[in-house]
Amino acid sequence: MSDFAEAFSWFVVQQTGARSAKVITFEKLSGGAIQDNFGLTLEIEGGERAGTQHFVVRQDAPSGVAESLSRPEEFRVLQAAFEAGVTVPEPLWLCEDLDVSGQMFYVMTRADGSASPRKLVKSDLTEEQRRTIVRRLGAELARLHNVRPPVQSLDFLALPDPDNAALSRVAIYRRHLREIGEPHPVLEWALNWLEDNSPAPGPTVLCHCDFRTGNYMMAGETLTAVLDWEFAAWSDPAEDLGWFCSRSWRFGANEREAGGVGEKQDFLNGYREAGGVEIDPTAVSYWEVMALVRWAMIALQQARRHMSGEQRSLELALTGRMVAQMEFDLLTQIQELEDGQ
Amino acid sequence: MINQPEAHDLLTEARRVLLESLAPELTGERKYEALMIANAMGMAIRELEFNAQNKAEEADRAVLSLLETHGLPGHNDECESSLADAVRERQLEGGNVTLRKVLRTLTEARLGINSSGYLKR
Repeated sequence: MSDFAEAFSWFVVQQTGARSAKVITFEKLSGGAIQDNFGLTLEIEGGERAGTQHFVVRQDAPSGVAESLSRPEEFRVLQAAFEAGVTVPEPLWLCEDLDVSGQMFYVMTRADGSASPRKLVKSDLTEEQRRTIVRRLGAELARLHNVRPPVQSLDFLALPDPDNAALSRVAIYRRHLREIGEPHPVLEWALNWLEDNSPAPGPTVLCHCDFRTGNYMMAGETLTAVLDWEFAAWSDPAEDLGWFCSRSWRFGANEREAGGVGEKQDFLNGYREAGGVEIDPTAVSYWEVMALVRWAMIALQQARRHMSGEQRSLELALTGRMVAQMEFDLLTQIQELEDGQ
Repeated sequence: MINQPEAHDLLTEARRVLLESLAPELTGERKYEALMIANAMGMAIRELEFNAQNKAEEADRAVLSLLETHGLPGHNDECESSLADAVRERQLEGGNVTLRKVLRTLTEARLGINSSGYLKR
């Protein structure tokens, strides 16, 4: 661990032109099965960032997920989001030289607050505070969705094919399910429903693709950073809106459709008023169904990693057993949508 | 073979000791791990109960009956696989009321084992 601290502080010294940097604190931060996140506080002498500086270093973990971006790709997405005015940690420096720490990593500023979903969902907030938070979150997505292809620095992101992000996703998930090789009639049924009910495609925009409660930091009732950009992709803007509102990410506060925090309409109003794409609410509901299927696919893949021996883990094994929750929610939500609720 | 106390009893008692004696002594990451272990043991206990009550066979019978009604093949040991194939190939129409009922039965059975509190939410 201290080797990492020395490697990272040496790298910061090189990047800032400092005379020296003393490690004040260094800790592994929680969260992230795909990456290791480290908190690093340095006392820097000289250079462009002299003084006490709080950083986060994000580095590849030994095991990754094929679908996620590499650290250099994620760094470029973070830069694009930062430049678009999204509230994110400022991306500072990327290190692709494996000789420094053994893995690629990047350094960003450290945001205050907590990303704990349960803490936020259980907070004693007034309705006005809830409204303010979810409107702000909607506005963040609106700013992100202003980034449209082509963007040269993001040329590694594939465009949806066949120019319909929803049907493109359905095809991907059908392939995943076939590869997993486990019978899941509810998921097959839901994929048919998604294929038959896809809304008119929206424009292709930069999507976070994991924008949900638990992936943003709050200091009290103030948003301080949107995190975890490793699944970013060009997609339909409704994908991000639907993922945020999905039943899987309300952490028990089912009645608060916007991330377990507030009302969906307030979230969508915040999005629209900040210049977001005009979205049909039924498209958001559709993408909420897609979100349940996607999360089920991820959970099945995680269980496979455990079962195959690639990464034996109780947490991954238990995630596999959560799929029945998504299947139950799919049956309920599709029925409700058909009943016009 | 008689091997007493049986697996269900061993697991139930081990889980009780874990939750009542060990977990309260732990904090942070270790406590989280203890609770995950208790969760996994709870699932294993409920799955043993489920199988002892022949509920898996009940669920399979509902699937086979649906497949038979529509003239589709299905065997006891892989009836869920046959159902998944039939749905994917659209041999069963998505709006079919009996299909939805069977899907719900299967899901609720699995949920009863994996997340028994989820149905009450």
